[in-house]
Amino acid sequence: MNDTIVSYISSLANIEFSPLFVFLIFLVAILIIVNVMALIGGLGTYAERKISADIQMRQGPNRVGPYGLLQFLADGVKMIMKEDIIPTESNKLLYTIAPVLCLSGILATFTVLPFSSGFILSDLNIGIFYLLGVSSLVGVGIFLGGYSSNSKWSMLGGMRGASQIISYEVPVTLSILAIVLIAGGLSFKTLVSGQTGFPNGWYIFHNPFTFIAFFVYFISALAEANRAPFDLPEAESELVSGYHTEYSGMRFAFFALAEYMEVFVLCGVASALFLGGYKVPFDLGGDTIIGQFLQIGSFFTKTLLLYYVVIWVRWTLPRLRVDQLMTVCWKYLTPIALFNLIGTAVWIWAFDGKSILSLILSIGASGSAGGH
Amino acid sequence: MFDQVLFYISAFLTVFGAILVVLERNLMHSCIFLLTSLMGVAGLYLTLGAEFVAATQLVVYVGGVVILMLFAVMLTGGGLEEIKKNIVSVDLAPSMGNLITYFWGALSAVVFLLVGGKILTSIYSSAVIADSPKLFIKTVEEIGTKLLTDHVLMFEMSSVLLLGALIGAAVISRPSKVNIFQKGEDDVSH
Repeated sequence: MNDTIVSYISSLANIEFSPLFVFLIFLVAILIIVNVMALIGGLGTYAERKISADIQMRQGPNRVGPYGLLQFLADGVKMIMKEDIIPTESNKLLYTIAPVLCLSGILATFTVLPFSSGFILSDLNIGIFYLLGVSSLVGVGIFLGGYSSNSKWSMLGGMRGASQIISYEVPVTLSILAIVLIAGGLSFKTLVSGQTGFPNGWYIFHNPFTFIAFFVYFISALAEANRAPFDLPEAESELVSGYHTEYSGMRFAFFALAEYMEVFVLCGVASALFLGGYKVPFDLGGDTIIGQFLQIGSFFTKTLLLYYVVIWVRWTLPRLRVDQLMTVCWKYLTPIALFNLIGTAVWIWAFDGKSILSLILSIGASGSAGGH
Repeated sequence: MFDQVLFYISAFLTVFGAILVVLERNLMHSCIFLLTSLMGVAGLYLTLGAEFVAATQLVVYVGGVVILMLFAVMLTGGGLEEIKKNIVSVDLAPSMGNLITYFWGALSAVVFLLVGGKILTSIYSSAVIADSPKLFIKTVEEIGTKLLTDHVLMFEMSSVLLLGALIGAAVISRPSKVNIFQKGEDDVSH
């Protein structure tokens, strides 16, 4: 069996749970994760508005609650109260199923996202591969949303979205593969446990190729989540708002929520693969409950910092054209990612998998030894 | 117990989706039911402990093939008008044949069913179903080792096939510049 939240709790309390209890623990854990993630998705919209206001020297939402913090709740209530409009000429089944596909694809990725060494729903052996697989449901959802609306704007947005997501999966997968080569496994625990709490042990500083791979991954992740400067599927100046032009009420909110949660997932993957994930300096707390909370804090700090960068990028960079988007993907990012993959393989073969820092240190040590 | 529940859900999704793919008249809807069916198959792989195959099923079919199909149906306009057929998708007036062809078709179907049933019964009666499949053994390493040792020839051949497909796609989608220039010169000369 692979490590799950249940196996962690049973090892902590030294009890073997009956299947019913296993089911209940999973249910509670899933309930917590889904709610926290929905909260993060909601707060993401708030953060987006507040940070954009900060960048543009405005106030942003500041009426509901302290600093406008409850604005997303008010928005949510507004979304639920709004009339749910289904265009008469639309394809009803596809129109209703598209936002659900988007949201379920993202929610399925939380199965393997490593919040801490214990609090991970299921540490599948194929963790990162599974994550890539289920997150491709989002592409289907976006395409169907655009197609079924039976509107020109939506159609163009949906086609752009699907082609963009398929194209940018290639550099994402290739730059993840470089890390998988170093860690020697696909499960998130293997990927994270090869790193340490301090930056010198992170995979981003392992060798020059992984350093480039991080930026390739981050740029491609922006494109996969349809974030600016790659938000062509919902380009306001050209396509009204792209694939969700016709959507209103809670269905629209599902799309928005899926987008913000996808940004969180992609940032979480970036922090788990490149930035040490849930590792805490000195392994403070160890395997106890306190250690788990420290690890969760470490993971969330890194992820939310990346989340900030994503929003920051959105409000400072202009949008690309469609042909530029494809040029960036196929002529720059994919060859660079391939080069990184081969470079990492050569590095592992040449230096026996040691990181560049340890190599420099060993050279320094041998140099000083020679001096004596 | 979980394996059982997972199996029943996956089997239901697979069969239900597959039936609806055939019965649905709108091609776009058929694609979506195909998606359900394929995800059910991924679930079946999971119950067998072949998680790598399950994830590959998701990556290849959900992320690639279904989107490709959706694009193809959309660009050919197949999803817009529903095809007027009866429930078994056979034209009421046979366009492909008459009573004799249907007779021979039915006869061959019966013969195939009998032969297939004969083969399948022997398989089923001799098959031993394991009590509980070994869940979540490390399949990735085994697949990788097998691919690069025993089946390396197949591996390389499939990579050549994929490269050929890639080059073919590039050649087909490439705009033929020569023809455009010739056309332009022709226009100028006229």
